[in-house]
Amino acid sequence: MDMSIAGLAELFFYSASMWWVIIPAVVVGILMGAIPGFAAHNTIIMLLPLTLAVDVNIALTFMVALYCASHLGGGIPAILLNIPGTGGAAATTLDGYPMSQQGKASKALALSFVASIMAGLITSGVTLFLLQYLSQVGFYIRSVEMVVVMLFGLALIAAIAAQDMLKGLIAGALGLMLGAMGADHIYATPRGTFGILELFDGVPLVPALIGLFAISEALIMLEKRTIAPEASARAMPTWGETLREILGAFKHWFMMLWSSLLGLIIGVMPGAGASIAAFVAYQQARTYSRTPEKFGTGHEQGVIAPEAANNGVTTGTLVPLLAIGVPGGSTAAVMMVVLQFHGVPFGPRLFVQDPILAYGVIMSMFVAYIFMLVTLFPLTRYLSRITVVANYYMAPMIVAFTLVGAFVPRNFMADLTIAVAFGIIGYIARKTGYNVAAILIGVILGPLLERSFLLSMRISGGDPMIFFSSTIGNILWALLAITLLASPSISLLRKMRRKGDIY
Amino acid sequence: MSDEAPSDRKQVGSDLIIPVLGIAYAIYYVYSVWEFPAEAQRSGFFLAGLLFLLCALFFLRTLLLALRGKAELEFLALLGPPEGRWRRLGFVALIGAYLLTVQTLGFTVSTFSFLFLGSMLGGLKSARRAATFAAIAALAGWLFFIVLLGTRFPLGPFEALMAQVMLLWT
Repeated sequence: MDMSIAGLAELFFYSASMWWVIIPAVVVGILMGAIPGFAAHNTIIMLLPLTLAVDVNIALTFMVALYCASHLGGGIPAILLNIPGTGGAAATTLDGYPMSQQGKASKALALSFVASIMAGLITSGVTLFLLQYLSQVGFYIRSVEMVVVMLFGLALIAAIAAQDMLKGLIAGALGLMLGAMGADHIYATPRGTFGILELFDGVPLVPALIGLFAISEALIMLEKRTIAPEASARAMPTWGETLREILGAFKHWFMMLWSSLLGLIIGVMPGAGASIAAFVAYQQARTYSRTPEKFGTGHEQGVIAPEAANNGVTTGTLVPLLAIGVPGGSTAAVMMVVLQFHGVPFGPRLFVQDPILAYGVIMSMFVAYIFMLVTLFPLTRYLSRITVVANYYMAPMIVAFTLVGAFVPRNFMADLTIAVAFGIIGYIARKTGYNVAAILIGVILGPLLERSFLLSMRISGGDPMIFFSSTIGNILWALLAITLLASPSISLLRKMRRKGDIY
Repeated sequence: MSDEAPSDRKQVGSDLIIPVLGIAYAIYYVYSVWEFPAEAQRSGFFLAGLLFLLCALFFLRTLLLALRGKAELEFLALLGPPEGRWRRLGFVALIGAYLLTVQTLGFTVSTFSFLFLGSMLGGLKSARRAATFAAIAALAGWLFFIVLLGTRFPLGPFEALMAQVMLLWT
């Protein structure tokens, strides 16, 4: 079903009239997104009694606004404390945290917020017009294509750890090995679990994330008094400076546009998600940058690209849910449960029976991002102060409260121990130059890659040529090869140019 | 890469920990799938083989550095700067103690104790300030995580007492 401009305008005003639902959802979403472990789907699960009791439109608006805001919130601790609030914000730590360490926390926050909000507005706007076409993408992405998409993620492991590629690859391979822990996909027999029942489902992602990033960071924090040099971060930026920082972020408009669209497309593929999108966008930004060597040292584009992409994903993950009834991510899956409870159909039937609701989901998202614009100034100005709070307060608080986050998704006490074990691995990795983000990518991709790989091999009867049997797959292979070769080739050309070998 | 570099030689001892841990886990993983049908072994063998190959390359690189006299086996850099090293190790032990006691003491009491001792170990000099900070943060955490969000974190004597107070009040 196509939507007219007048219809969209009517829908916009209807969604805006839900401000009393959107504002509290945005506040809760930013707050919960900033606490590792309390991702949007956990929060929605905890608030199920509320969303199941109210009218479907209210429930939907609340969930969508909370979902978007949590992705914006996830970047806050990633920048200020080197702890991603959500998996999608893991790539933001690479340049966001170095900016905080240099006393540029408010600038990094401004970049992150502007990128997130603009990406949300761009992708929800685009989706409103292209929903009927975008919804077809999910049909073309099968296990074969998913394997290539995953390999993109693997290629990033080497690219991310550019200071020592071999260490980056070892970190990624270790992550993949850990990610393959748990029951196997064919016979459901546990592998590599040390006989621990809580690991039969595989490595729980939230405790792994909390350990690798939060606990290891807390241990390292105690070596210094504060995160940022006290003198450089002591003065709070004035309102004028805050405005200049926010406006300054707009000079990266093209990066925002490109990364958000990349996030939207990756989000439409079921199972891909914000973490992959953010790392793909980061790597793309670095590959095609004129100053790739600045990435990882506190480069502005290194904050813009992952934040724009992970917010682009929020819109994308809802597309397959609405169009074919396949949730694109965990939050979309929880939303699906709530909507099913309210008797909402999915797939083509939704667009026939209740098109207003289908388009209303995306419009609620658009309106929620507009409301988030209001939060830009106070958040940018005041949050950067966290970097000058003494670490003897911050480190114990991070450990105590993130361990609650590790417990929440499954309510297993063993998850606390798993988080601490990953914390120790993360600490050793950080101190010895193995990239913790690479380990995390491996843990995330491990089970997804294995599932798609085995499914493809089963379909083909064990013939590996199936991976080169589809047009889309082959295009993706070519893009992967270009991505792998582009970065070293460009570096080599630059080196030769510097030496004067070429002009 | 090591933090402390007293000589020109690269300190590689702690750099070997992750590959050694990785290989140890890969061996255990292969052992755990040894009896599986071939189809189910495929991905495990592939991943373990990949990790073995990369670690072997790393060991070879380290060995070549050592043979050229450019590397030394040193592990102390892993523990960070010498100043405050014992306090940081104490903090790690405190995390272990927290894991052991949280189920008995419950969220609020264990969080208070952890924050109080953790901030003192972290370098806070005043016990009064540490106690005030720990009390405020533990109570705020209880209100937010236990009362408002209703997380099912273990409850202890404080939560039981507050439940009784609430019961009397209502």
